[in-house]
Amino acid sequence: MTGFRVLKGGILTLIQDIGRLGYQHLGVSRGGPLDAQSAYWANRLLDNEPSAAVLEITAGGFEVEAQSQTMVAVTGGDLNLTINGEPQAPWRSFWVRQGDRLKFGTPRYGFRAYLAVSGGFQTEPVLGSRATVARDKLGGVNGHGEAVREGDYLPCKHLTSEGIARQIPQRYLPQISQQITLHLIPGYQQHEFSKGTWQQLWNQEFKLDHQSNRQGARLQGKALPVPAGEFLSEGVSYGAVQVPPNGQPIIMLDDRQSLGGYPKLGNILPLDGFKLAQCAPGAVIRFQPIHLAAAQQQMRRYLRFFGL
Amino acid sequence: MKDGPEALLERPELTFTAAGVDALLMQFGRTMNPCLPDFLAQLRETILSDLSSVVLEVVPAYTTLLVYYEPRLVRIFDLEQALTQLSDATPWACTPWSGDPEKNESLIQVPVCYDRRVAPDLQAISEATGMSEDDIIKCHTDPIYQVYALGFAPGFAYLGEVPKPLQIPRLAEPRTHVPAGSVGIAGAQTAVYPDDSPGGWHLIGRSPFRWFDPQSTPMTPVQVGDRIRFYGIEYDEFEALWSKHHGEKPE
Repeated sequence: MTGFRVLKGGILTLIQDIGRLGYQHLGVSRGGPLDAQSAYWANRLLDNEPSAAVLEITAGGFEVEAQSQTMVAVTGGDLNLTINGEPQAPWRSFWVRQGDRLKFGTPRYGFRAYLAVSGGFQTEPVLGSRATVARDKLGGVNGHGEAVREGDYLPCKHLTSEGIARQIPQRYLPQISQQITLHLIPGYQQHEFSKGTWQQLWNQEFKLDHQSNRQGARLQGKALPVPAGEFLSEGVSYGAVQVPPNGQPIIMLDDRQSLGGYPKLGNILPLDGFKLAQCAPGAVIRFQPIHLAAAQQQMRRYLRFFGL
Repeated sequence: MKDGPEALLERPELTFTAAGVDALLMQFGRTMNPCLPDFLAQLRETILSDLSSVVLEVVPAYTTLLVYYEPRLVRIFDLEQALTQLSDATPWACTPWSGDPEKNESLIQVPVCYDRRVAPDLQAISEATGMSEDDIIKCHTDPIYQVYALGFAPGFAYLGEVPKPLQIPRLAEPRTHVPAGSVGIAGAQTAVYPDDSPGGWHLIGRSPFRWFDPQSTPMTPVQVGDRIRFYGIEYDEFEALWSKHHGEKPE
């Protein structure tokens, strides 16, 4: 077997791929990389399929030793990567030899790094996907939704000859910032919220709460007035902004539960969700409206670019 | 839910609302309706087969279908029209199913052990409702439940409706650990926890079934539109059935 031996699991390191499709009606979450754009870039640098499994390294502290030789690519937030102690710039692919140690430190900018290997990590898929979803206990190294930890083995292909090292041109690099604006497509219970609530939403600042996770990004700010009445649970799509009784919005992300009953304002543009994935707790967040057609046009351009 | 028979005669009006760049929410009214699960299950199948080129996933719940589609292949206006047509063509056969003898074949009988050893809230439920433990068990095993939705966790089926006398709110403090198979009640709903998880429902018993297994086909014993009835079993039988389904003794 060839691959990487894990020396330190880090804060939260997960195997992710495009996610578990077609099981939400049974209550199974989709999963997938929170910053999908960075994950796709990592695979593209290696000419991998977009569905190849990558590592999502949150907040750093992760260290591996190569047990074989292969090409790897690193994208996303800059987590002060070193190889055998030498600092490395992200957003490029490079050759790794047997015995090389890759170490991700604390974030320099951004919050989540993506590590891809040639051909993708070859862990055992569950329900058609390798994506790790802790709350569903599915995917990951052992198939039961666990994060990567010390002593794990991450299998991948062994390459006989070195590939071409590539770098992403500066102008394509996504903006990573701790002050972002999320475009919101009004929907769901949009008419249940008052005009005043909408005005407040467009004008106020929120902070990303430290309780945020892959299920939902929790925001903190002046409480939004919540519509009266009970709502029956309904399917929750990516980026849904729900407002629970405390008036603090939660943006539902890739590990969201398939159903939810809190009133929802609408959904954020997924491209902005990727920026949100690079925000650390305390980041400043604002909202701005966008029409569905404009949002779909932006997504079309993005998907076409990655050949999805 | 409305109790009057006239509420069951007509299909609630269909409305659409956006749910992001690639999902559309079809909504049939806003109240629990025992005729809807069957209708939604049928409509879901039709959408998945007739619109398979543009629709990727359909998630049913109480009064809604969340339709995930490929926005590069269909305009929202055309999709809404196609979905309206399919919905209009789906029969609204609203005889209350519990009175329909032909439907009894799809009734799933589920054993539940109501022994205190696996029903930690039985006493609290008794105090809150004023019912004896025997009455509580009778009340819970009496109705035929509808599967209104699956969600919260893989294989977690929202069942309704719990008879009025047994309806009590969620726990003030959710438990951090509810063992797999636990049967909970909350308001008009009851459900079996498919796996160990946190949970805020009052626990009334425990089922020895496996409610979610990614290795088996089907992965869950129930789907939206199915019907369930619980029946009581003794603790010894529960242990034996649990070992049979799980290959080990219950926790």
